[in-house]
Amino acid sequence: MTLQKDPEGFEKKNLDSIVDLNGKHILEVGCGEGRLTWKYASASSLTIGFDTDHSALRIARADSSPDLHDKVRFACASAKNIPFRKETFDIAILAWSL
Amino acid sequence: MVHALNEIHRILKPRGILIDLRPVEDNWSVEVVTSTGNQVAGKLMDMPVGIADDNAAFQAMNEVEALGWFSKEKDDEFGFFYIWDTPSEMKSYIDEEWEDFEKMDDDLYRKTSSLWASANADARVRVRVKMWIAAWKKL
Repeated sequence: MTLQKDPEGFEKKNLDSIVDLNGKHILEVGCGEGRLTWKYASASSLTIGFDTDHSALRIARADSSPDLHDKVRFACASAKNIPFRKETFDIAILAWSL
Repeated sequence: MVHALNEIHRILKPRGILIDLRPVEDNWSVEVVTSTGNQVAGKLMDMPVGIADDNAAFQAMNEVEALGWFSKEKDDEFGFFYIWDTPSEMKSYIDEEWEDFEKMDDDLYRKTSSLWASANADARVRVRVKMWIAAWKKL
């Protein structure tokens, strides 16, 4: 099956229009396979995506590009108990997960 | 859901931003697209589970706003397209992946297939998913 999702990139354009991601510390809650993560992460200073789905996180990590290796991390965690200290991130993104 | 939003509130810096980005039920339109234009074949049918999920998500954001955790800065809507080469591929995907959210009835499938078959050779089919995006500032 050939399936394309958002070939025009409207999702990233609308994300950029509603928030400035440049140089920010970003937490993506429920990042899944990292489909959106990899589109915006280059603008951030640090992006951490987490999800409860190990299989999805494996795909997200496999899609890593060498130039983003230092600024993107993935973790297995639940939004019920986010494993970070208070007041750590500038932006939290709930993408397709609320 | 509200507990998760409390966790997000905790890890955000003062005046940090929460982005809520998600599809919302709206009887998403089915279209046949070619290099020369688009034709709307009809609308999918929203399913009760999807409608309930949307209501729960909006209710949760209303609750955290009422609690004084976040205030809405901006919101907007836009289209997010899923595109397939053939109507049968589209139908299979909708039946398998969106079972709880959207339904394509037989009449719509027949109409889409007919439009696609009579269109240019480059014709494909797509669903226009309605997306909601909102920026919430931590208070």
